[in-house]
Amino acid sequence: MSAKEEIKPVIPNQGIVFQEEKSFYVLCKPKLLPLKSVTLEKLERMQESAQQKARQQMNEKQSESNQFMALPFK
Amino acid sequence: MDPLFKALSLFRRRRYEACANVCSEYLEKNPYDQAFWTLKMRCLSQQVYVDDLEADEEGIAELLMDENTIAQVARPGTSLKTAAVIAAKTPGTSLSIRPVMQTGRPITGMLRPGTHGRPGTMEHALKTPRTAKTARPMTSSSGRFVRLGTASMLSQRDGPFINVARLNIRKYATICGVSKPLFEYILFVENDVRHALDLAAESTQFHQFKDWWWKLSLGKCYYKIGMLRDAENQIRSALKHNECTVDAFLWLGKVYIRMDQPLAALEVYRNGLDKFPGETFLMTYAARIHEALAEMDESIKLYKDVLRHDAINVEAIACIAMNHFYNDQPEIALRYYRRILQMGTCNAELYNNIGLCCYYSQQFDMTITCFERALMYSDSDETTADIWYNLAHIVLGAGDRQLAILCNRLALVSNNEHPEAYNNLGVIEMSKQNLTTSNIQQTKSFFQAAGANGKHLYEPHYNLALIGEKSGHYDFCYQNIKKALELYPTHYSANELFNRIKKLYESV
Repeated sequence: MSAKEEIKPVIPNQGIVFQEEKSFYVLCKPKLLPLKSVTLEKLERMQESAQQKARQQMNEKQSESNQFMALPFK
Repeated sequence: MDPLFKALSLFRRRRYEACANVCSEYLEKNPYDQAFWTLKMRCLSQQVYVDDLEADEEGIAELLMDENTIAQVARPGTSLKTAAVIAAKTPGTSLSIRPVMQTGRPITGMLRPGTHGRPGTMEHALKTPRTAKTARPMTSSSGRFVRLGTASMLSQRDGPFINVARLNIRKYATICGVSKPLFEYILFVENDVRHALDLAAESTQFHQFKDWWWKLSLGKCYYKIGMLRDAENQIRSALKHNECTVDAFLWLGKVYIRMDQPLAALEVYRNGLDKFPGETFLMTYAARIHEALAEMDESIKLYKDVLRHDAINVEAIACIAMNHFYNDQPEIALRYYRRILQMGTCNAELYNNIGLCCYYSQQFDMTITCFERALMYSDSDETTADIWYNLAHIVLGAGDRQLAILCNRLALVSNNEHPEAYNNLGVIEMSKQNLTTSNIQQTKSFFQAAGANGKHLYEPHYNLALIGEKSGHYDFCYQNIKKALELYPTHYSANELFNRIKKLYESV
């Protein structure tokens, strides 16, 4: 018999054999997390530092204008 | 010390900010010094330089109002758009074993700027949840790079260094030492592709079409403004020069991927490998395409080839490891991930993966420690949520249902839209022994939340259908089972359920 030939299962249909399929709720599978490529990490880092710099400058500008506003009218 | 020598030395040591300061001091005294001017340009572009071959995101507009596609309904296996459907049918990437990303592609081992993949329709693209990490720009010209550009402009005290609009481009194209740094400055710092394109065109003419570098740059610019056929012509012409490097092959491949012709891209990489045998970049790119086409075996074969030439390629190791894990060989995956750890990478994602591999290869002692580390290293809410979600699986395996509920709840605290956690909470609620105590209404709302947040998951729809069948709401069941089958057409139990419902309908 060649290895490729399929062996058919023998399922007796007499006696105390019964078959039951019960479907149950499905869980989502465990998730391996993809690692981040160097380029992506660098991009994110750059974006963050650029945002921080911009925010810092905006704050500085704002505090300057606040000082100006605080000058008493004469 | 001679300021030029000092600046050059700083540049060589990659202290770009200090170098730029020295240059600007000298340029204040003598604004026409070309050496300092060029050096400052190079400093500024080095500060924001990213490999633009890798860092490239397609905007929604480019994707969907795309005039370059040849066939709207491509034959299977020839397009990246139809790949998700094939992926669901192939055994290695079957949805019941390997989870999918939001685009419906099997989850990949490495996250790159372009891994969002192509959404199928406009509707799908706009519906995909836009969190901070997955936001897709409307067009690539409004994307991350422009934001970076504007931010860097803001941070320069006295306005931009060069006013590109007023530059006499024809003049600078003729000065050989200056034109290339100027091109990079305009492209990377200013993000002004049109002026960069002008400069490249002038320079190629000046070099009498004999410099492949300018031809490739011209191709890059055309690619960035979406003129793909012109980009193809320019890069092909650059490839005719014998001294042309690997870059040109990679860029040509990228152009074909943007045109959605993965097979043409593979052909380009094959030609590249004939000229540069054993070049790992070409192999990696080809492997990525096979992965995107859901041809996992070819992809893994190529990644293994990459490792034969470059044994510390993290991307190859990560992809092979993930493939082993989802093919029932967690202990082999564990060895690959441990290898990455040995090489010095140490972050939350890696520890999470090692923890999962340990658990599934029955090395329970290490598991909890790894997850503790993962939580310690995690710096983003999305990652923390994923780690808690995975931990819930392990706790569930240990039989502690209450703790699993807590873990899933913690995942939802970190990321309120974690669809998998919602789904699993629902399943745990339904698996309570005494059916009268399980809260069906709450379970339903869990599944509905999961389905609404994760359009790519079939599980919540299938679960809802099952509830519908058990409680006698057959119409509700029918609607949900159809959604589940759309996402995963070959799911056995879903098909069985569908047939049962169909019989009931026919008998009415």
